[in-house]
Amino acid sequence: MDSLVSIKGVTKIYPRVHKSRERLKAFAALLIGRQPAHGATVLSDINLEVVRGQSLGIVGENGAGKSTLLKVLTGVIQPTHGRVMVHANIAAMLELGAGFQPDFSGMDNVRMKASLMGLSNQELEERLDDILAFADIGEYIHEPVKHYSSGMVVRLGFAVITACRPDLLITDEVLAVGDESFQKKCIRWIQQFLERGGTLLLVSHSMYVVQKLCQKAVWIHEGAIKQYGDVFPVTQAYLAWHEKRSAKEKQMQMKATGEGAYYRIEKLMLGGVQADESPEFAMGDDLDIELHIYSPDDRPPVGVVGVVRADGTPVYGMISDNEDIKPLKLSEQHYCFRLRFTEIGLLPGSYNLRGHSMDPEGVRLFDTSEMVFTVSGNTKEVGYIRLPHKWLDQD
Amino acid sequence: MKGMRRKFDRVFFQNLVSRQIRQDYLENLTGFAWLILQPLILLAVYAFVFSTIFKARIPEAGDIGFVPYLAIAFWPWIAFSEAVLRANGSITANAELIGKVAFATEQIPLATVTATFLMHLAGYMAVLVILQFMGTSIHWLYLVLAIPVILLMWVFACSIALFTSAIQVFVRDIAQILPPLMTFWFFTTPILYSASYLPASIQGVAEWNPMAWFVARLRELLLLGEINLGLDALIIVMFILVFSWLSLRFFRRFSGHFEDFL
Repeated sequence: MDSLVSIKGVTKIYPRVHKSRERLKAFAALLIGRQPAHGATVLSDINLEVVRGQSLGIVGENGAGKSTLLKVLTGVIQPTHGRVMVHANIAAMLELGAGFQPDFSGMDNVRMKASLMGLSNQELEERLDDILAFADIGEYIHEPVKHYSSGMVVRLGFAVITACRPDLLITDEVLAVGDESFQKKCIRWIQQFLERGGTLLLVSHSMYVVQKLCQKAVWIHEGAIKQYGDVFPVTQAYLAWHEKRSAKEKQMQMKATGEGAYYRIEKLMLGGVQADESPEFAMGDDLDIELHIYSPDDRPPVGVVGVVRADGTPVYGMISDNEDIKPLKLSEQHYCFRLRFTEIGLLPGSYNLRGHSMDPEGVRLFDTSEMVFTVSGNTKEVGYIRLPHKWLDQD
Repeated sequence: MKGMRRKFDRVFFQNLVSRQIRQDYLENLTGFAWLILQPLILLAVYAFVFSTIFKARIPEAGDIGFVPYLAIAFWPWIAFSEAVLRANGSITANAELIGKVAFATEQIPLATVTATFLMHLAGYMAVLVILQFMGTSIHWLYLVLAIPVILLMWVFACSIALFTSAIQVFVRDIAQILPPLMTFWFFTTPILYSASYLPASIQGVAEWNPMAWFVARLRELLLLGEINLGLDALIIVMFILVFSWLSLRFFRRFSGHFEDFL
């Protein structure tokens, strides 16, 4: 197979650079051809191969070393050990606005950037119309870039990349900026690029984008490869790990706030179980919820109950006093809200049930509790929730 | 272990130079005027201090006068010194670009030096014309030989810039050390005075100052119309070539590590 990128045993250790004495020492070390004193290890012994026409997604939490890996790949930084071989005309989008000079017009910056990417003047003239059409920022092209919105900078940056017709496209989370329609345009362009035989290396926190664009994925964890393989198993394993970890973190956080809170949540129950059990439901089941709140002054508190997606997107929520509901008094200072979501229309996936406690006036939020539950089912519907519907006019 | 060596890109370099020129000199309408005015004012100050207060007389200048004698050497020095000082911080100033895009980073200090030289060369030509109108006869034909001398100066400035800009990434104090060093260099180079004024003990050392050689040749060529190019010319060319080769090697030894230290 035609290998475009081959990384062998790459380790990157950033030198110590904080004190001026350390910098001076590093300078002296480099002068005599040695490695500077070692600081933080960011990548350790990475081996990776990307063949022509492949699309590889790189996933991992913040600080795992993804961006450093891309920097090593593009040659922006040198690895401390190991070898990087790239046999391709690379277009790297580590940051779309990189190299843009704010005081100069968009047009000047396009020229600059295009030449930075290795385009000759003639090639640029030929492709200028395409660039302007792709960026689609109209007369703003003659304005200084400092007057641009961040979205416009990104559009212009991406437009120049499209004109470079690279073999290998490297992007670092750039699709996260810009508005929806532009993101779609970029994704469409990348898809076409892949269809034409292009090779892609993509760093993204959006598993949706990774799954949509990549065949393979690599999960980088604390500077090392944790898993490599086809995109679905890797991204799913990563997501599962991530969810587990954030659930743990949240629980600890909750404990911390819970004990000190004035109107605190004593427990949140779903289907008769508590937070550490993650119950599973089928679509159309009922969800029985109990929210127990401790009220130190024995006045009835206000409760909030809602459902969010695993990534935090709210699905539905409501506040007890908006619906004129008073909690059930279990005993002195102990109150409880009980409610049922009937025949839930949630589509299969992982959700969080969230409860909040508020003061009796419903002004200040005191405590939060959360538990994970999953909804299972076989359906090809898309979205978060099934809206009641019927098809009209069919044969 | 080895990273990829990025190639020098002509189009990108041209863009860098023109960006630098527009940014530093043509940003506002007065930018270009100041380019000539500022050295002119400095020249007037030096001329006043040295010819009126110190009553400096330059025997070799003959009937040429002090001001043209000074002006001929002053502009190339200004170009040289400004280029070196500007280029010194150029790598740190472009940290953002260097951290995001892989390219041959030596292009940045070289573009700064080149832009500064181009602009001051334009100023130099203007000054030569002004001198001509003021009654000093300039030997225009010898410009053919003066240009290579200025080119050598440019290569020399580029080499120094490669050294200092690379060191500056690691040792930020260079930015503080360099200006007084350049001032010292200015006063030890026979620009305000003639080389014959130097004490005999220093003359031996001063002969090794390339700037002194450049300045002396420019004066001979453009003011006196003399050609004094002998073995020393060959030596200086060889020296500049070796020095520039060393500076590029020096720079590249560090350039791959810039991102770690920026």
